[in-house]
Amino acid sequence: MRIAVGQGSCGIAAGAGKVYDALSKLLPKEKLGITGCIGMCFLEPIVDIYEEDRLVARLVHVAEADAEKIAEALKTNDLSLVENLKISKEDESFLTKQTRIALRHCGIINPMDMEDYIKVGGYGALSKVLTTMSPEDVIETIKISGLAGRGGAGFPTWFKWNAARNATGDKKYLICNADEGDPGAFMDRAVIESDPHNLIEGMLIAAYAIGAQEAVVYVRAEYPLAILRLENAIKEARENGFLGDHILRSGFSCDMRIKAGAGAFVCGEETALIESLEGSRGMPRLKPPFPANAGYWQEPSNINNVETFANVAWIIENGGEAFAAMGTEDSKGTKVFALTGKIARGGLVEIPMGMTLRSVIYEIGGGIRDGGTFKAVQMGGPSGGCIPEALLDTVIDYKKLGATGAIMGSGGMVVMDEHTCMVNMAKFFLDFTTNESCGKCVHCRIGTKRMSEILNRITHGEGKDGDIELLEELCMAIKDGALCGLGQTAPNPVLTTLRYFRNEYEAHINDKKCPAKECTALISYRIDENKCKGCTLCAKRCPVGAIFGEVKAPHSIDASACIKCGQCASVCRFGAVVTE
Amino acid sequence: MADIQLFINDTEVTAKAGDTILAAAKEAGIEIPTLCYDESVKVYGACGLCLVEAEGVPKLLRACSSKVSKGMRVSTQTPRVEKARRIALELLMGAHQGDCLGPCTLNCPAGTDAQGYVKKISEGDFHGAIEIIKEKLPLPASIGRVCPHPCETVCRRKLVEEPISIAFLKAFAADEDLKENTYRAVAHAATGKKVAIIGGGPAGLTAAYFLRLEGHSVTIFDAMPKMGGMLRYGIPEYRLPKAVLDREIEEIVQYGVELKNNVRIGSDITLSQLQADFDAVLIAIGAWKSMPMGVDGEELSGVIPGIELLRRVALGEKPAIGKRVAVCGGGNTAMDACRTAVRLGAEEVYVVYRRTRAEMPAEQIEIEEAMEEGVTFKFLTNPAEIIGEDGKVKEIKLQVMELGAPDASGRRSPVPVEGCFETLPVDSVIMAIGQKVDITGMDGVETNKRGILAADERSFRTNLPNVFAVGDATNRGASIAIAAIGEANKAARVIDGFLMGMEIPYRAPIVSEQTLTEENFKDRDKMPRAKMPCRSPEERKHDFCEINLGFSKEAVMEEAKRCLSCGCHDYHDCKLIYYADKYGIDTKRMAGENERHEKEQKLLCIERDQNKCVLCNLCVRVCDEVAQKGILGLVGRGFQTVIRPEFNTAQTIECCKNCMKCVQACPTGALKML
Repeated sequence: MRIAVGQGSCGIAAGAGKVYDALSKLLPKEKLGITGCIGMCFLEPIVDIYEEDRLVARLVHVAEADAEKIAEALKTNDLSLVENLKISKEDESFLTKQTRIALRHCGIINPMDMEDYIKVGGYGALSKVLTTMSPEDVIETIKISGLAGRGGAGFPTWFKWNAARNATGDKKYLICNADEGDPGAFMDRAVIESDPHNLIEGMLIAAYAIGAQEAVVYVRAEYPLAILRLENAIKEARENGFLGDHILRSGFSCDMRIKAGAGAFVCGEETALIESLEGSRGMPRLKPPFPANAGYWQEPSNINNVETFANVAWIIENGGEAFAAMGTEDSKGTKVFALTGKIARGGLVEIPMGMTLRSVIYEIGGGIRDGGTFKAVQMGGPSGGCIPEALLDTVIDYKKLGATGAIMGSGGMVVMDEHTCMVNMAKFFLDFTTNESCGKCVHCRIGTKRMSEILNRITHGEGKDGDIELLEELCMAIKDGALCGLGQTAPNPVLTTLRYFRNEYEAHINDKKCPAKECTALISYRIDENKCKGCTLCAKRCPVGAIFGEVKAPHSIDASACIKCGQCASVCRFGAVVTE
Repeated sequence: MADIQLFINDTEVTAKAGDTILAAAKEAGIEIPTLCYDESVKVYGACGLCLVEAEGVPKLLRACSSKVSKGMRVSTQTPRVEKARRIALELLMGAHQGDCLGPCTLNCPAGTDAQGYVKKISEGDFHGAIEIIKEKLPLPASIGRVCPHPCETVCRRKLVEEPISIAFLKAFAADEDLKENTYRAVAHAATGKKVAIIGGGPAGLTAAYFLRLEGHSVTIFDAMPKMGGMLRYGIPEYRLPKAVLDREIEEIVQYGVELKNNVRIGSDITLSQLQADFDAVLIAIGAWKSMPMGVDGEELSGVIPGIELLRRVALGEKPAIGKRVAVCGGGNTAMDACRTAVRLGAEEVYVVYRRTRAEMPAEQIEIEEAMEEGVTFKFLTNPAEIIGEDGKVKEIKLQVMELGAPDASGRRSPVPVEGCFETLPVDSVIMAIGQKVDITGMDGVETNKRGILAADERSFRTNLPNVFAVGDATNRGASIAIAAIGEANKAARVIDGFLMGMEIPYRAPIVSEQTLTEENFKDRDKMPRAKMPCRSPEERKHDFCEINLGFSKEAVMEEAKRCLSCGCHDYHDCKLIYYADKYGIDTKRMAGENERHEKEQKLLCIERDQNKCVLCNLCVRVCDEVAQKGILGLVGRGFQTVIRPEFNTAQTIECCKNCMKCVQACPTGALKML
C-alpha cells in the first residue's frame, strides 16, 4: 500500500503540509506521495490510501497527530486502525454525483511527476493529433464537441481557433488566461496545481490547431504553488520532447512560458491581459480588432481559459460527439463550479450541463450549512447575479442562466442563507469592481464608484427616496457605456438583487431596517432577561465592555457603547442575545 | 480606399472604407462629441461621449473606433444615445473639481468677470478692463462706488487675509476710461425694431445700452427730470457724485438712445399705447415708495420717508428736518438718510434699529462712517409711537427689545421687553424700513401676492404679450443695483431674441465650485487689502462732496495683483463645459466623494491640476506618440487613477522639452502653461 496526501493550496491551508511532514518521518519515500486537489475542501486535509492503483481508503480531516496511526495501518496492512478517519458514505456522494472531465486527474495523480500523467494516458491526445489529424480536423472536432469558453463569456471555442487559424501574421500566439480573479472561484488554480500537464497538452493541441509557435500562460502571482507546479511540468515536458522544436518528432514546434500577472482583476479581460503581457498597464483595448487578428504584439493570438484547455485532450481522445452527448441543446459537456458560502459541503464540483441548481446545491453540496434556509445563490462572481429560491430548478445552461439575470461566468457559486443581506452582498461586489476598475472609461471608473457610494449609504441607513431609481439608471448606463466586460457586467449583482429582493432595498431605505439583520448600522443587540442565566460569558467576550450584570443575574447591553460586533450573540449558549 | 455609402441620421454619407463613424460624421458636418479622441494619436475610447446607435447592433457603438460599413444606418442623436452621453457628462462633472468661474463672478448678480478685469488692472491695462466690464455692466464708475459688492463677500483671498477691493478697482478703471480715449463698443446695424423702456435707472439704462448695441432703436421714459433712477435720487452725492453718473449716462446716450424725462406712464402716456407704438416694452420702474411703519403718529408733519428725503436733497432742496432726527431702520437707506441728516445740519441724529449691530443689513463701512460722523445708534429699540404736538412731531416713543430665537433667515428675532419704553425728543422721524413698488400706470400687468409685478425669472416676460419687466419692481422686490443690472442684461438678450423671432430664455452657465479653507492657503504670503483713503469725519460731515479720495494707479495695480485667479484659465476653451452646457446636464446629480489633489509643477513650465483631469489620457498619449517622450503615465487603479510624470526625477524634467503638446491636447483646464 502507498498513500497520497492531497496537496492543493486548500489542503495545505488546512494543514496537509504538516500531515505530510509527519508522515514522511514515519514512512519510506516510495510509500508516500502527493496529489493535487480532489475538490472536497470541506474535508481537507485528505489522505488517500492506495493498493496498487486502487483507492482503498480515503481519510479526511486528517491531523498531524493521526500520522502515527496511518503509518501503523500501512505497515500492518490493517485499515481498521484508521476506520474513524474514513470518509462517510454521505460525503462520498459529493464525488459520485459528479462527472469529471476537466478535473478528471485532479486529486488522483501526482502533479509533480509527469510519469503519473503518462500512466493515465497523458499526451495520448497530442500524439493522436500530431500523427493523425490536420489542424482543421482538430478545429472540426472541437466544433462538434460544442466546447465554449469556460472563462465566463461562453464563446464557441472552435470559432476563436478558426479565426486565429485563418488570420495572417508573422507569428501566432496561444495564450492561456489563468488570471482567475472572481471572488470564490478557484477551479483554474486547482487544475494547474493538480494536473498541469493536462493544461499543457490542451494548449499544445490548440497551438497546433491555430498554428502558434509560442504559448504563454498568464497566471496571477497570487498563485505561487500553481506557478511552481506548472514551471516543473513545463520543464518535464520540454525535457521529454513534448515542448520545443519538433514535438514528438513531428513538424510542429511550440514552446511555452509563464507570465505572472500582478493581480489586477481586469487582466482577466483578454485585451487587458495582452496589454499586461506586453508590459503595459493592464487596460482593455477597443474591440475590434479582436485578438484573433491583432492580439499580442498585434499578431494573431488566441486566448482561452484554463478550464477550456483542460477539456481539450479529453475531447480529442473521446471524440467531439462524446462531449456533445452531455449537456443541453445550448450548452455541451461539463462545467466546474466552485461551491462556497453557506453550503454544507463546499468545494470544486464538475457536473454535466443541464443539471439543476437545486441538484448541485442540495444533492452534491448537501444543502445549507447549520440547518439554515436557502436564500439565493450568486453565480458568476462580480459579473454575475443572484438567483432566488423560486428559480432553483433552473438548469445549468448558458442561455437559461442568462435569462435569470445571472451568468454562468467562470463558475463561482456562492450560496447564501437567510442571514445574508442582499443589499450588502451587492455592495460587496460593487466595492470589488470599483476597486478593480482599471480607470480607463468614465462609466466604469466613476459610475461604479457612485453606485458603491449609494449602496454604502443604503446599508448605513442613510438611503434616500430615489436611490433605487438612481441605481437602476446608473446600472443601465454603465451596461451601455462601459468599455469592457468588467464594466458592462458590473451592475449585474445590483440588477438581480433589485429584481428579486427589491423589498430588502426598500426596507433599508424606507424603514431603516435590514431584514437579514446583517447591516450593523441598522441593528441593535438586546439581552432577553428571561433567557439570560447570568453566565457572564458575553460580558467577558465583549471587546468594548458594553455588557453589565451580576453573576447569575440577567445582564444588559449599553447600547451607546456597543459596537455591534455580534460576539455576545455568538457566544451565548441560551439564545438570550436578541438582534433587533 | 474605396468609397462606401452609409446613412448618418438618415442622410446618405460617403466615406472611405476603413474610416471610423466619427471621421465619416465629421466629414459630413455632423458633430459627435468626444473628449478623448485626437487625430494625432491612436484611438483610446475612454470618455464614452461618442456613443452612437447603429441599426441592427444591440450595443451602443463608440464612433471613434467603430468602422463604417456599406449601407450602415447610424443615429447620433437618439434618446438612448443622448441619455448615455448625458450620464457620462454628469459622472465626469460630478468628479470634476475646481472653479470653472471664480466665486466673485459667480456671486455677482450681473456675472461680471471680476477675475478677468482685475487681471487687466493688475497689468495697468484699464482699457482692457473696461472692455471686459462693459460686456455686462455699462455703469462701472457709478456701480464701483456704490455696490455692496457681493463679489468681495465671497472673494477667496479672505482665506489668506482680506478680499480684493474689487469694486473700487472697477471704479478706478472706469474713471481712467472716462478721462480720455473712452471705450466704444461696436453697435450692430439697425434692425428697425423699437423698444420702449420705462424707467431710466440702472436696469433701464443697462437694457437700453445692450439693446441699442444689438441695433434696436431704444427710448427710455422716466418720470423724473433726469435719468439715473435710484442712483441719482436715492444715493447721496457724497457716495456717488452725480457728475460721474452724468458722464456714464452720456456714454450710453451717444450710441443713440432716446431719453424722455418727466413722462409718467398712466397719466402722460399709457402702457397700452407704448405696447402699440413699440415692438417691445421693458418695465424697469424700481421701487420708489417707502414702507409705512404702522405706528400711531405716522401721519404727523415731520415724519419723512427716507427715500423721499434723499430724493428731495438730490433735487436740490434743503428739507427742514430740525436739529434732532430719528432715523428708523438698519439698511443702507437708513445709513444714507442719517448721514444726509448730519449734512443737513441736524445736531442729534439717532438710528433706531430693533436688532443689534451684528444683524444690521447695512454695509459695515457705512455704519462705521456714520458713527464717525456722530450718529447715535439706538440698538434693540423699535418705534412704538410718534408723539406730536400741534400736528408736528415732538418725540418718539421706543419699545425696548431683546433678541429671541432665530427666525427663518437665521437672524435672531427681536422681541419686545414688556413694559420697557424709552422716549426721545425729536423734530423729525425718517422712515427707512423698506421700499414698495408703485405700480400706478402698469395697467394689465399681473402682480404677485405682495403687489409686485410678476415676471418669469428666466424669460422676464410678463403676462402681456410684448411686455417684459426687470429689477426692483418685479418678483422679490427691491434689491441692490447690480442685481437689477444683471436682470436687465439678461433681459436684453431675451428681448433681442424675441424681436428677431427667436425664443432665448436665459440659462445659467454650468460651473462647479469647491469648498476650500484657510488651510489650503496657509503658505500664501499675507498682502493686506488696500485701504481707500477718505476725508476726515470732521471735514466731510458738513458737505455733500465725495468722501473717498480714490486710489493711486500704483495702489490699484498692487491691489489687483493680490487676486488668486480662482476661475479656470481654460473656461472659454473647456470642452467639458462646452458639452455640459450643450447637453444641459445637472452638474451635481452624480456628485459624490472625490479625492482632493494638490496642484503640482514638477514639469517646471506646466502646472498640473488632477482635480480637473477627466483621464482622457490625451496628455499621456500625445507625450508618448507625438512628442515621443513618454514622460507621463497613469498611476493607480479605478477611481484612484491619476496621471503623473514617470519617476518624478530630475531626468524626467530634463526630458520634458516643454513642447506643450500635452497642454494643447488637454480638453479641460487640468494642464496649464506657466
